[in-house]
Amino acid sequence: MSGDLIVVGLSHHTAPVELRERLATNDSDVPAELKALVNDAGLHEALLLSTCNRVELYAHAAEPHKALELARAHFRERAGDGVERCLYQHRGKEATHHAFRVAASLDSLVVGEPQILGQVKTAFELANDAGTVGMLLGRCFTRAFAVAKRVRTETRIAEGTVSISSVAVELAQKIFGDLRGRRALLLGAGQMGETAARSLSATGARLVVVNRNREKADALAAACGGEARDYELLLTELVQADVVISSTSSTGFVLTRDLMRDVCRSRRHRPLFIIDIAVPRDVDPRVADMDNVFLYDVDDLQRVADDGLAQRRQEADAAEAIVTEEVQEFEAWRRTLALTPTIVELRRHFQQVVRDEVTRTTQRLSAKNSDDERTLDAMSEAIVNKLLHPALATLKAEATQPDGEQLIAAVRTLFQLGLVPVAESAAEATHLAEVAKPQDAVRGALREPNGTQGLPTPKTRGA
Amino acid sequence: MLISGLFITTALLYGIACALYLAHLTRGREGLTRATNGALGLAVALHVVYLVGNVVAGNSPVGDIYRVLSLVSFAIVSAFLATTLKRPVTVLGAFITPVTLLFFLASGLGHSVASVPPEVRSRLLPFHIGVNVLGVSAFALAFGAALAYVLQDRSLRRKELGGLFQRLPALDVLDSLSFRASLVGFSLLTVGVVTGAMWMAREHSGRPMLEPASLMGIATWCVFASILGLRVMSGWRGRRAALGTIVGFLCAVSVLAFYVLRATGGALS
Repeated sequence: MSGDLIVVGLSHHTAPVELRERLATNDSDVPAELKALVNDAGLHEALLLSTCNRVELYAHAAEPHKALELARAHFRERAGDGVERCLYQHRGKEATHHAFRVAASLDSLVVGEPQILGQVKTAFELANDAGTVGMLLGRCFTRAFAVAKRVRTETRIAEGTVSISSVAVELAQKIFGDLRGRRALLLGAGQMGETAARSLSATGARLVVVNRNREKADALAAACGGEARDYELLLTELVQADVVISSTSSTGFVLTRDLMRDVCRSRRHRPLFIIDIAVPRDVDPRVADMDNVFLYDVDDLQRVADDGLAQRRQEADAAEAIVTEEVQEFEAWRRTLALTPTIVELRRHFQQVVRDEVTRTTQRLSAKNSDDERTLDAMSEAIVNKLLHPALATLKAEATQPDGEQLIAAVRTLFQLGLVPVAESAAEATHLAEVAKPQDAVRGALREPNGTQGLPTPKTRGA
Repeated sequence: MLISGLFITTALLYGIACALYLAHLTRGREGLTRATNGALGLAVALHVVYLVGNVVAGNSPVGDIYRVLSLVSFAIVSAFLATTLKRPVTVLGAFITPVTLLFFLASGLGHSVASVPPEVRSRLLPFHIGVNVLGVSAFALAFGAALAYVLQDRSLRRKELGGLFQRLPALDVLDSLSFRASLVGFSLLTVGVVTGAMWMAREHSGRPMLEPASLMGIATWCVFASILGLRVMSGWRGRRAALGTIVGFLCAVSVLAFYVLRATGGALS
């Protein structure tokens, strides 16, 4: 068999953030690292996935045991010996399973979060551009993207939001649509308010910070990428804002009902989304009854976040089933990888033997003409095909079964076909398969050339 | 025979598309997108064949109220499909296709056996009917968006942010769609009311016909005039505008309902 797929890495499950930080690689450095791994360490293919939650090296190697050790050494070299106990490794089917789960966001810190798929795609593109992706990793990750898509469309794993700031952003988007150019007003300097403001600002909203203490406002505005305003301008800012995040340390209501009624009139009833993160609350709850004003306090946001998390956990089972099913299919395809080159070589071997014998015999015959030679060639071809037919049919039928690999290996041993040169076999199989289904590749290889069912009758015979 | 077979198949396909849209909205069956598009696309194609078939058979497409209803349902679904090309509001199909289906089914309630009434042969009346058909389709679109707006607004206020909330578009998107569609519908309706009045003045020599359909038509015009006026003048928007739009659309539907009543009454008498 032409080697196996392996993965070695660490993630938020196994390693603390300090260690993950030390291992994280910049996108721009990835190609060089991959090329070094392929050229120096003798891996056939390599892909490096580096996000803030995980660093993983996927590889295709002729000798998986060696490759696993090599990959571990690579991690040790970069992050010290301490990294060893945080590493996990998978091989073959388990490695595929892991790749599929990661892409489908089943292994994420927040299960179902959508960013990971984009990160995996970037990692794949980087490796592809570096030329370290071949047949096996290529197929594995293309399938992983398809699995992620299936999981997203067939389960509801991505529904429901799970952190307070993402709930705030999602609600704002559900009210205003696109947040670019919208105005977000951050009132006060609470930590949670700041986090929510940052998230909003990241979606393209313009952030304005108002605080009784102008210096604090300036510092906060600088930190979150917004502008600071004097507290005296609060009313004007409230009229202009689309989203208000309030997290002051005031003991009474800062945004009273009377104040907000005036504000709403001045706003000509444009919708206003108020997030009251302060405890005790900053906004009079009765403000929620006003038309076109949507008021959420910290408990509301937390409840939405909790609901989202619970729902995602439920959906995870259905998603795991999809992953398992896809892994089986991938494995069936992988088992047929060695089939095509084996068939080609077996046929070549038989033809060589028969042709050699035919040549030797014809040399001894006195009367030679080209027509006779052609007839003999056709005959030898037919003999090979007839002899090989049952064997190839069985091989083809068994190849996708779990024992298929052993059968192919047995055939190679019996006829002394030697090791499958990976690059060649991959190129050949790709050529035949043309990214079609695995069965098509096999069928293509088995299709018998025309006119081999029997001896052709040359017109010249008897002339 | 062929025509009635076409009618049943088209209605069935509209029904399937409608059920699929509702399943998508309420249960989040994203996998059904292709089936939904297929069913609706086929329904629209058959509807075209049905309409053309009727014209080929020698019937005016505006010959009686039933044919007009068929035309209305076609205009509604076309307006919806055109909108989905520009805006991410496909999920509104759950509100639009039931309306389409309703009008299409109503168009099958009967057919006047009489040949085209002489007054329809005048050029003014088909024009009057045509602009009103387009106007109603714009109102239907505004209605769908407004209904979604009311649901979204309710979810946000009750803080019940389930799947329905996730799948419906943003409030701002719905509000602006509802506003624009109302504006288009109102302009068309204005032309419709004026041509209707002109036709009436000519046919009935200026004697005002205070029949329910005409009165409801004027009521519809007033409702939309007030909503749009308030929107522009005093920044009316959101839930109240959405509720107003729903009322306006129901008025427009009642105009058609009165025409149907008159037609069935006429047939019975």
